[in-house]
Amino acid sequence: MDFNLSDITGYLPLVILAAVVLISLVIEMYIKSAPKILPWLTVISFLGLSYQSLLTIGKPGSFFNNMLATGGHVNIFWFLFNFGGAVVALITIDYLKKTEIYHGEYYILLQSSVLGMMLIAGAKDLIMVFVGLELMSLTFYILAGFARKRLFSNEAALKYFLLGAFATGFIVYGLALIYGSSQTLNIDKLYEHFTFESKNIVGIIGLFLFFAGFAFKIASVPFHMWVPDVYQGAPTSTTALMSTVGKAAAFSALIIVVSPAFGKEKATEILTPLVATFATLSMVYGSITAIMQTDIKRMLAYSSIVHAGYMLIGLAAGNKEGIDGVIFYLIAYSFMNLGAFGLISVLEGKEEKNLAISDYTGLGSKYPVLAGLLALFMFSLTGIPPFAAFFGKYYVFMAAIRADLLWLAIVGIAASAISLYFYLRVVVVMYFGKDESKFEVTSSNPALTGIIVSALLVILMGVLPGSIIDLIAKF
Amino acid sequence: MTLEQVLFGFFALVAVVSAVMMITGKNPVVSALFLVLNFGALSGTYVLLRAQFIAVVQIIVYAGAIMVLFLFVLMLLRPDREQSYFKDKPQMKLLAIIVGVLMLAQIAYAVLSTTTGKVAEEASRIETGTIENIGRELYTTYLLPFEAIAFVLLTATLGALVLSKKKLD
Amino acid sequence: MTDYIYLAVLFPLIGFLINGLFGSKIKNEKITGGIGTAMVGLSFLVVLFSFIETLGLPADKRSRIVEWFTWLEAGGLKAAAAYQVDQLSLVMSLVVTGVGFLIHIYSIGYMHGDKAFWRFFAYLNLFIFAMMNLVLADNFVLLFLGWEGVGLCSYLLIGFWYDRKFDKGTVADASKKAFIVNRIGDFGFLVAMFFIFSYFHSLNFSEVLPLVANSELKPWVFEAIALFMFLGATGKSAQIPLYVWLPDAMAGPTPVSALIHAATMVTAGVYLVARTGIIFAMAPTAMMVVAIVGLCTAFFAATVGLVQNDIKKVLAYSTVSQLGYMFLALGVGAFSSGIFHVMTHAFFKALLFLGAGSVIHGMHEQQDIQHYGGLKKYMPKTYITFMIATIAIAGIPPFAGFFSKDEILWMSYANGGLFFWIIGAVTSLMTAFYMFRLTSLTFEGKERFDKHHVHPHESPNVMVIPLMILAGLSIVGGWVGLPKVFVGESGNWLDSWLAPIFKDATRKIAHGGFHSHFEEYLLMTLTVIGAVASIMLARHIYIKRPQIAKDVAESFKGMYKTLYNKYFVDEFYQKTIIDPLVGLSDKFLFRFTDAKLIDGAVNGTAKVVSFFSAHLRKFQTGVAQFYAAVMMITIVGALFWIILSF
Repeated sequence: MDFNLSDITGYLPLVILAAVVLISLVIEMYIKSAPKILPWLTVISFLGLSYQSLLTIGKPGSFFNNMLATGGHVNIFWFLFNFGGAVVALITIDYLKKTEIYHGEYYILLQSSVLGMMLIAGAKDLIMVFVGLELMSLTFYILAGFARKRLFSNEAALKYFLLGAFATGFIVYGLALIYGSSQTLNIDKLYEHFTFESKNIVGIIGLFLFFAGFAFKIASVPFHMWVPDVYQGAPTSTTALMSTVGKAAAFSALIIVVSPAFGKEKATEILTPLVATFATLSMVYGSITAIMQTDIKRMLAYSSIVHAGYMLIGLAAGNKEGIDGVIFYLIAYSFMNLGAFGLISVLEGKEEKNLAISDYTGLGSKYPVLAGLLALFMFSLTGIPPFAAFFGKYYVFMAAIRADLLWLAIVGIAASAISLYFYLRVVVVMYFGKDESKFEVTSSNPALTGIIVSALLVILMGVLPGSIIDLIAKF
Repeated sequence: MTLEQVLFGFFALVAVVSAVMMITGKNPVVSALFLVLNFGALSGTYVLLRAQFIAVVQIIVYAGAIMVLFLFVLMLLRPDREQSYFKDKPQMKLLAIIVGVLMLAQIAYAVLSTTTGKVAEEASRIETGTIENIGRELYTTYLLPFEAIAFVLLTATLGALVLSKKKLD
Repeated sequence: MTDYIYLAVLFPLIGFLINGLFGSKIKNEKITGGIGTAMVGLSFLVVLFSFIETLGLPADKRSRIVEWFTWLEAGGLKAAAAYQVDQLSLVMSLVVTGVGFLIHIYSIGYMHGDKAFWRFFAYLNLFIFAMMNLVLADNFVLLFLGWEGVGLCSYLLIGFWYDRKFDKGTVADASKKAFIVNRIGDFGFLVAMFFIFSYFHSLNFSEVLPLVANSELKPWVFEAIALFMFLGATGKSAQIPLYVWLPDAMAGPTPVSALIHAATMVTAGVYLVARTGIIFAMAPTAMMVVAIVGLCTAFFAATVGLVQNDIKKVLAYSTVSQLGYMFLALGVGAFSSGIFHVMTHAFFKALLFLGAGSVIHGMHEQQDIQHYGGLKKYMPKTYITFMIATIAIAGIPPFAGFFSKDEILWMSYANGGLFFWIIGAVTSLMTAFYMFRLTSLTFEGKERFDKHHVHPHESPNVMVIPLMILAGLSIVGGWVGLPKVFVGESGNWLDSWLAPIFKDATRKIAHGGFHSHFEEYLLMTLTVIGAVASIMLARHIYIKRPQIAKDVAESFKGMYKTLYNKYFVDEFYQKTIIDPLVGLSDKFLFRFTDAKLIDGAVNGTAKVVSFFSAHLRKFQTGVAQFYAAVMMITIVGALFWIILSF
């Protein structure tokens, strides 16, 4: 194998993160003050890596015998994972102490999961997608059950694990069928070999099973049923991780593997209606069911399903605008949700208290800053300009219209009209509720920093969406 | 019909039957033993695919080490007879069978009606599955997945520790 | 000054930021109120100078685009923060900033002592910022930003006193209703935008609108765009079927009702239709729909206004009715008449609301006109200005309302036909009647309030002076559009000023045949005589013989109840739309699918039942199996689809 040292700048983030995982293990084992060091080591290395990812964005490269690609969209995803990871770590610091579940392994697992995501987004080979997915999913199962003494956390972890393994089974079977019909696992060659025009049912079924497995990970109806239980049961900081960058990683796999199929005639004809159906179901079912939720984490779980639907629209559109729109949407969505879950984790009391929406009554007058930020994220999730999600939706819907899927865009708009209700209900309760909120909030400066950074990003993406979509569309 | 085809038919039959017996068995220990049989049959098919090394590893690691561990755990825990999910809900059992059969039929139809391309020459040579070849491939072409797998295993170990070790509290 | 038009947008934003960020720290009402007012005043000056500058230019050079910065660019879409300064947008922004400025001054007095004084001014400034974006935007995207922005401000300001009761619910309910109903309209507007972009590949007015007139596209495209856009307009401008939020919007502070829900925001729909007039001109069916919806709304709201007892409710229905007039004008192709009425209506309706605010202020928050009476001796200035506005809305020459309303009625006769005129004229008579019912019950006759507890008093000068200025405008404001029958084709200043904007659209619309001057004089005289007659009738009934009103209400009990309850439309929407939707979510998706099928299958009880237990394992595997079954069934279904489509 040719080994060129100058190549290393391309995949340096991977190497560094792997090293950080190992170093963290050693620190956790041998150094007494690990609880002080580990969180900040995690935050700083994530920030450094996200900066490094942006730095080499313009240098495409492929490494390890065409197993890994860098540059362009890959680096945008790497940036998203690392920056999102940093925000999650900031949220986690005080949350673990408050809920008395601190173990240093949380941060190590967090780092490993981001490593897995980076492998998925950079994959050039289906094997890499799978290994990265396994790394990410395993850490998620463990992080979901991290609150070992809480029943709901256990339930969430076990449920997620069983169903996740089931979904992974589909992915592996899909990979086997794809390999069987095209004799390669390399993603570029795959589409050269793929004889779509002939009667290659096996290949398309393989592709669909692969899609279905990832539809589980992105929480699309009808593969969504684990989502409310797991999002609710898992520790809030874990939910923040899974629902944002975790979803983005799964989407990156779909973008890498499934979206090129949409150029081919036969595949488009068959897959577009399927993806569009999943998108419609997610938007409609998610937004209507969310209305009746009383628990805010559960409500956001259904909201996550709805947003998966919007993003699937971009995938169904199958054109370049759609993919760019999905990436923009993923970034926007990740930071909105990180902010929202961050705030929930700050407001959450011990023993999972203060999680019902009605608990937030009168928050606006008691904690104006927290309530204001939460309102901002709710507005953004609704899709009200000038916040980020509006443009995410806009780009995705536009792409759908270009691809002659006007009806899908109209369903999307209708769903966002419905979703207004459950997002604004939180705002209404906070500001227009009569009685004072009952609980005391232990403020957390690191978490608040992370939340404010997310809020700034959400506003920035809403005010200057042009320059960001330009950056994405350039590659 | 060549000997290869006969052997494949035999191994495949054993694999399928043992798999079915495993999931329908009432006693967990018996189920585990059927799983061992299933692994054995699979390693037979690996040999037929010229993957001798994998076949051996399958026997040593899965059928040998892991399943023995499994059996130990089962013996030690002695799980009582579980109330069967299907016993409470016979209609779910029916549904499961119908869906399973449908999917089998679908896949069979798809595989049979697809005109496959050429079979890679490489795969049909006897040397492909030797330790030497596999080792070379692992450390050249598949270096990155190989290293990544190391992290998967590390994470799994860590996870087992975090979720189950008593001392942590 | 035109090059710096963005300053007119920027100043209110600065005001919003200062008051919004530091208002709670400053606390001093003089400073916060002063900043808020001054910023709008500066904005008004910028617009005024641009207007004077534009006046000096020849007619074909008056329309200009001032680009500020590129806001977003993607694919073929470019939306800049660019402002279109032309005859139409200047008239609109003069009204917005001018009336807005007066209402800001008034609010200093009205909101005096409120615990969130600064917040009120911050919201008002934000509103002016959004509204200016709406009227000045040179593309649909920026217009939509303003459109959503004014909606948000309206929501925030209706709910300003969120802890108070209103009608059967709370103020918060009213604000939610306004927001949600508006979103239905926004849906239409968005779809219209998508259509425009997919057929014209641009959302800039200067690129889309000139193409429309010579477009080869099929007529249905324009019909669809126009109808969806009109759906958006019905939401914002409170037309049938989406008008229901406006009467409830009266829950907000009265200056808000005056500024947002009478003078400016609600006319955004009229502005949108006028701005895209050429698209409507290409869509005759849509034009017909606009005219008929406008006519029905005008008539229907006027009938409801006849019997309401809440002073602000009467004015609210009157606003809905007058907006209907504006859409009637647009629908018959008289775009400049519609804009003319927007302007005069802004003057007299703002005055009416502010006057009502002054009365409410003086009567300790009492809003029921049955508990007023004889107030003219206690608050003479309010009385006189209120009367001027009432005469203006009733359509008595030479007050402002007469000219714009007469123009609309004449155009609806000339372009629409006799039927349009009759309904329009009857509505006009009803308007005169219920407005004088209002003034008679409020200011004249016996004093029906408890004199020991209520001491009516005139409002402070800071509130009265804006009233006087608006009263002046309500008198002279109509003189910019004198009827052509008096002054000849070029004598109607406003019409010739706006003509270049609408020339493509008016050319497209085939006008009715020739009408003689005699007809016009005749109709004009008829409406004026009718208006005077209904005024006399109203004064006679409500000042001298109140018994008549009761007798009439008694003998037409069913009709009275229907009108009083606004034709039960709210109840109808509740039963047919809201309840089923909530029911679907609650009963089917939540209770049935989620709770029965999923939770009920195994868990659900788990949270109630004890924490450890054998049950735990049971419900977990159970749920997972059900979840897995759903996944499996989906996949099998999808595989059928794949196999069958080969």
